[in-house]
Amino acid sequence: MTRPGLAAACAAMLRRDLTLAWRRRGDIAMPVLYALIVTMLFPFALGPEDTLLQRIAGGVILVTVLLAMLLALDGMFSSDVEDGSLEQLVLAPQPLALMMGMKILAHWMTTALPLIVIAPLLAAMLHLPAAVIPVLLLALLLATPLLSLLGAVLVALTAGTRRSGMLLALMLLPLCVPAVIFAAGAVAAAQQGLPWIAPVAWLGAALVLAVVLAPLACAAALRIALDA
Amino acid sequence: MSNWIPLWLHKLSSPPTFYRFAGTLRPWAMALAVLFGVIALYGGLVLAPADYQQGDAYRIIFIHVPCAWMSMFVYAVMGVSSLIALVWRIKLAEVVAMESAPIGAAFTFITLVTGSLWGKPMWGTWWTWDARLTSELVLLFLYLGVIGLYHSFEDRRQGARAAAFLALIGIINVPIVHFSVNWWNTLHQGSTVKLFGPSKIAWGMLWPLLAMTLATKFYYIASLFHRARVDLLALEGGKDWVRQIAEDEARK
Amino acid sequence: MSSLYAFLAMGGYAIYVWPAYAVFFIVLIADTVAPSLRRRRVLRDLRTRMARQASRQQRSRTDLADDNPTLTSASP
Repeated sequence: MTRPGLAAACAAMLRRDLTLAWRRRGDIAMPVLYALIVTMLFPFALGPEDTLLQRIAGGVILVTVLLAMLLALDGMFSSDVEDGSLEQLVLAPQPLALMMGMKILAHWMTTALPLIVIAPLLAAMLHLPAAVIPVLLLALLLATPLLSLLGAVLVALTAGTRRSGMLLALMLLPLCVPAVIFAAGAVAAAQQGLPWIAPVAWLGAALVLAVVLAPLACAAALRIALDA
Repeated sequence: MSNWIPLWLHKLSSPPTFYRFAGTLRPWAMALAVLFGVIALYGGLVLAPADYQQGDAYRIIFIHVPCAWMSMFVYAVMGVSSLIALVWRIKLAEVVAMESAPIGAAFTFITLVTGSLWGKPMWGTWWTWDARLTSELVLLFLYLGVIGLYHSFEDRRQGARAAAFLALIGIINVPIVHFSVNWWNTLHQGSTVKLFGPSKIAWGMLWPLLAMTLATKFYYIASLFHRARVDLLALEGGKDWVRQIAEDEARK
Repeated sequence: MSSLYAFLAMGGYAIYVWPAYAVFFIVLIADTVAPSLRRRRVLRDLRTRMARQASRQQRSRTDLADDNPTLTSASP
């Protein structure tokens, strides 16, 4: 039996995780439902004035998406830890960082992508001007993978512990501040008719860095957390 | 001949040796901390003249600024020993990194509270979202994250290594947060003390500040040694040297 | 006496200056006391563990002696 190539292993990893996610479709819908509920609560709490909602729409949507992702982050590796497949992955001959990258990609596709798809709906609920929606989507497309990558490192660090939900939020908060600032900054700039390319470029630069470094850090963190 | 320093360091990193070494140095560090602290308090609260703009409220600077420096200094120490702990797997480095975290969190907390007590009469607000304040708050959360992660593991050493990794991630994060919040907004007086170049504050106000900085440094050494000794006792509970100490303590 | 009052008044900023110093000292004292308490707890736990171990060893030795007296008489 020959060892499958790297590309084949990556594809198999991705297919496995997507299949597993598809079998539990209800879990995918949860963050989306959560984001809808939170966004719905804001007009009730703040009053239905268009100008106020318009002004806060970008920030509210970004924070809501962040919280929804945080909700799903906890389960990124939990089933793999339980059934022992994560330990097998650590022992596998394929580079662990690459496999982690694939797992993060699968997780992003199943949790963040649905949120990005419903983002225009959330924007409409808060009366965000239609002209700003493309910028919002662009900012989300860059910020959500960044959050997934950063979150994955932290989830890997807590893989050896029992309960980690609140701890994960505590650890992610300092790391996600820059992403939130630049993503919300881009939307706010677009709303005021200012050039928004600079914050988006910063987000892109951070994402490129994270794509290279985060899977490596994730693999190292996993080795520490599972090294019993 | 010339390799006595690495040899000495190697010997020092063995827990019983470090326990004795820290036990000898700790009272001296504490005494120096109290001495410099009293000098700084007398100089800062009594001798130093009132500021012509801020009146007596500026006297908070004598604790606020040294604590702010310490909050970063302690994080740097934690980062370096985390790196040593992860690369060379030295138990003492893990202990130093993990026992630095609560001290650093204490200094960060003092910085935030005294800063807001100073900000209220000076800017008319307890809190403002400027780069330095926000970075300090993020630093507090980083410290809390490290402490939380360390305690969430059942195996202490494994927890220490995971938390050390988090501390290293935080070191990269702090400048990024500072830059991004700076980009976002600003409302703060420029920094008044520069390490290099002419300082803008009068000598009568500067020397108590420097004395308090020394006092906090010595306090950190004393507190770290104290905590590290207790942690070593807890970690090495099964070893003979710790049992000896437990018996000696009971006889007293 | 009036100079002491002037000192305590801190030019009208007493309600900001003194709480700041109080926080400084309370936090640092707590930081010093906490490890001392932990040290006492750690050593006490260790002593109970040692006492338990010693009594268990004692018991197993006497049990052994009760079960087969030849063993104890044979061993010097």
